[in-house]
Amino acid sequence: MSARSIVRLTFVVFVALLVQSTVMLPLRFDGAHPDLLWLLPITAALLAGPQTGAIVGFWAGLAFDLVLPTPFGLSALVGCLLGYSVGAATAAVDKRAVWLKPVAALMGSVAADMLFAVLGAVLGQQQMVQIDFLSLFSVIAVSSIILVLPVNRLMRWAVTSEAHRRSLVSAQPAESGLW
Amino acid sequence: MLVVVSLSIISLDLNGRTHSLTSGVKSVANGAFSPLREGVVDVLNPIGNFLSGALHYGSLKAENEKLQATVGAFRAEKAERNFENTQLSQVMALQNLPFLQSLPTVTAQTQDENSSNFTVTITIDKGRADGVDVGMPVIGAGGLIGQVIQSFHYTSVVRLITDGQSRVGVTFGNGYTGIVDGQGPAAAMTADLVPPHTSLKAGEIMYTSSLDAASFPPGIPVATVKTFHTGAGASQESITVVAQADLNQLAYVDVVQWEPEPSPVNAP
Repeated sequence: MSARSIVRLTFVVFVALLVQSTVMLPLRFDGAHPDLLWLLPITAALLAGPQTGAIVGFWAGLAFDLVLPTPFGLSALVGCLLGYSVGAATAAVDKRAVWLKPVAALMGSVAADMLFAVLGAVLGQQQMVQIDFLSLFSVIAVSSIILVLPVNRLMRWAVTSEAHRRSLVSAQPAESGLW
Repeated sequence: MLVVVSLSIISLDLNGRTHSLTSGVKSVANGAFSPLREGVVDVLNPIGNFLSGALHYGSLKAENEKLQATVGAFRAEKAERNFENTQLSQVMALQNLPFLQSLPTVTAQTQDENSSNFTVTITIDKGRADGVDVGMPVIGAGGLIGQVIQSFHYTSVVRLITDGQSRVGVTFGNGYTGIVDGQGPAAAMTADLVPPHTSLKAGEIMYTSSLDAASFPPGIPVATVKTFHTGAGASQESITVVAQADLNQLAYVDVVQWEPEPSPVNAP
């Protein structure tokens, strides 16, 4: 990962954190609010594979952990597991498939929330499994499907911009060769 | 590798001896992030309020009239109670018990509610710089709303009494005691450790007790009894309660600058 990608990723995580704590928190439906955090590793994994997904999940989770009252490091753990899992599970899938991003966002976000709650309870935070999961999953599922496209756009700018440039540069001689 | 690092960080956070390290990191990060966040909220709030006000003009007008009537009633009630409060303060002082109105409080504004979907907390705009520290009780409109669980330089996190981790020692009726347990946002709170067939009535108010290792000063209204019954062969009465404070009105809260007394050290 290049220095430019790291700077851009840092910017994207920061923007996501700011949007989460200012715009998403007040958007409460039946006690639950949308969560941008899990969409970062999911989109990174879809765009650049499991390793990048895990790295983005870890750092994004750690940044969100700074402002959450849950155990420090828990979001980072779930984020890196989520990023790696989504990347590995979709490795053989055609990334241009229209259904891929919404389905990955829906299933990944719900699975991440379940894992987050269970691990939290294992770590002594029993209140994390005493919530209305039906409401939470409904809100997370719908919001993830809606938000995955703008987040994917941001993540593409951060993660794959250089790869795209390189592919364009390498494609030029081949195209000119036709002439 | 990242999983191992994550687990190490969690271990550091949960370990009592190294918790201050992670807490310090969070405190610095919150100190830097809060002003930025507040700036964005200040920009976005007027837009949201304008749209909300335009959509709910009729109901807001009615609510305003209702609030003005309530304020008038409270003024009259306050005037009547001044004399009673003076007498009560004197009695409490004689009994060497802290009376809430004699304790210093810090008024704080709520910055956000439930920053995580998995906890019932609020973040307030007062922190260690304002004398707010971990363990201090927080009261809102009508009674106790929770306790400070994280205190940063300029902000603090308050766990509400409805959170699944919340436990409040209470006293009610003719000297009975119990524990009000939060059950998470989706379920009603319960009062536990109350002996079976205890004399109760719906609407009865439960106050913080000076028991429970004195986690709270005594006399703060916590909850009112909603339902109660004793099942056959039960070892305690099943009681559901509702918070005495209005947990939907948390824009401003008071942090009571009262800390639990350290437990006495046993002599060898």
